[in-house]
Amino acid sequence: MLAIYKKELRSYFTSMIGYVFISLFLAIIGVYFYIYNLVNRAANFEYTVANVSFIFVLLVPLLTMRIMAEENRQKTDQLLLTSPVTAADIVLGKFFAVFTILFMVVAVISTYPLIMSRFGEVPYASAYASLFGFLLLGGAYLAMGLYLSSLTESQVVAAVITFIVFFITLFMDNIAKSISTGSKSAFIFFTVLILIICFILWLMMHNLTVSVGTAVVGEGILLAIYLSKPALLEGSVIKVFNWLSANARFYNFYMGIFDLSDIIYYLSIIIIFLFLSIQVIKKKRWS
Amino acid sequence: MIEVKNLVKRYGNHTAVNDLSFTVNRGQILGFLGPNGAGKTTTMNIITGYISATEGTVTVNGIDVFEEPEEVKKMIGYLPEFPPLYPDLTVWEYLNFVADIKKVKKSARRQMVNDVMEATKIADMRNRLIKHLSKGYKQRVGLAQAIMGYPEVIILDEPTVGLDPKQIIEIRDLIRDLSKNHTVILSSHIMQEVNAVCDSVMIIDKGRLILQDKPENLSLHFGSTGGLKLVIKGNKNDVLNELKKIGRITKIEEKESLEEGTVSFTVYCKEDDDIREEVFYSMSKNNTPILEMQSIRMSLEDIFIKVTQDDAFINEDKPEVYEDKTEDLSSSADKEEVSNNAGDL
Repeated sequence: MLAIYKKELRSYFTSMIGYVFISLFLAIIGVYFYIYNLVNRAANFEYTVANVSFIFVLLVPLLTMRIMAEENRQKTDQLLLTSPVTAADIVLGKFFAVFTILFMVVAVISTYPLIMSRFGEVPYASAYASLFGFLLLGGAYLAMGLYLSSLTESQVVAAVITFIVFFITLFMDNIAKSISTGSKSAFIFFTVLILIICFILWLMMHNLTVSVGTAVVGEGILLAIYLSKPALLEGSVIKVFNWLSANARFYNFYMGIFDLSDIIYYLSIIIIFLFLSIQVIKKKRWS
Repeated sequence: MIEVKNLVKRYGNHTAVNDLSFTVNRGQILGFLGPNGAGKTTTMNIITGYISATEGTVTVNGIDVFEEPEEVKKMIGYLPEFPPLYPDLTVWEYLNFVADIKKVKKSARRQMVNDVMEATKIADMRNRLIKHLSKGYKQRVGLAQAIMGYPEVIILDEPTVGLDPKQIIEIRDLIRDLSKNHTVILSSHIMQEVNAVCDSVMIIDKGRLILQDKPENLSLHFGSTGGLKLVIKGNKNDVLNELKKIGRITKIEEKESLEEGTVSFTVYCKEDDDIREEVFYSMSKNNTPILEMQSIRMSLEDIFIKVTQDDAFINEDKPEVYEDKTEDLSSSADKEEVSNNAGDL
């Protein structure tokens, strides 16, 4: 894993990519810092961090698009997969390398509150809590981007899909607010969801029994809940949407709420997507 | 050392490798020979653990590739069809990385990278970015990558593609050198290469093993062709009439003559027959001097084309196919052309 980590990190800095991204991140954050903290004379660095978190949606797809897709296209995956390294080594090495880029950015901007402290009182706790959240949110986005990149050989396809997915997660909490909380609409929503899942299952396995079986069982359970305890379904759609929204939990950090469940949420997103990437690599051998 | 048993690889309805079995012994150089799409690369990808097989087993040193891939990968160095190079790294950085992932000890790494660069003659390019290298150099960096860590088994998929003739000879020498301590499998569709380098040749077509033997023994599978190429000074009909009188000649082919006043023929006889003397005296008596006479020996090219073109041969109908050809006086006029082109394959 260390070998891959070192090589990845080196290639970020032998090509322009590393420098370009770090300077882009810093430039955008710098502008926000200037507007929110310096021009508006606010001591709360978390304002900057919260408002700038959208840059992940713009920059992460460009940063992660090449990670796996380029290996697939250049056939260098053949070197990695015929060497005595595991798929986990490859994925973790690559993830930590790209995370290091993000970490460098955060390391630089973590000095900003210290700079501000020369001019007055700075609430350090919420400033650094929001930075910690910023790092976790970035990590989650990077893991998602890495996974989506492993699915394709084309960097452009990887970037576009990643961008779309991020865009959806960004607006998920806004969508959630406008959704009806009734149990009937929840029932319809979950029915559609089950059908979509079964359709994907059918596409993946071409096995009619499994997908129809899943549909029948899923629908049966849903119907049973709906008929016996409709209260359970009330508001559940919003919960699902909020769960899918990577940003929603970030605002807890921004408001100074340092909740363990939020940390676990981000860590599990990272772990899930890294795990899925490992599976994609392993699957390549068997397809 | 390497044992492949009943290997099958299917992609949907397409069978890339069909019931392939063979063994390679330690220190041997095995050559895969086959036309494009014969299943050479697929077989190599399976042995190296890059892809799985549909059926069958592959063991290296008694370890199963499908059960303990990491153990097997430690013993194998692989140069795929397209050398797996990172264009943004320098040669030295790249080889250092390869040494690292192949678990070469840190203390030995520097020395080994230097040795490998010496052996593949890329030391003068060590600080160049790989994307700036020529095709030949890229190929050699790929080869350097394959022998890094000196694995017991080295698998090379068309190692000399894109090299100039001098480099080809160097690489062949290198491969022969390597075989002193390593087991080598290489694939090629260049016959001379296999002939020059390998201890054993496997001809593969449509995913099936057609035959395996030492390169020098391959022609025994077909017998000698029994024929002469002749350039004779004289009138065409005159010479032809005289040749037809020799009863032991089974087939006469006329060739285009390159010299004014001469005629060219290829004559065939029975496999074990020697008609050289008879042809000589007959022409001498006829007052049409022979300017050139050359026995036809079946080259590896001929064998390869014969084997991969004759579907009948795949059905193990070997002797019949051969006789069909010799008795057919008219339709095999293009044989010569085919074997002339074989070198470009």
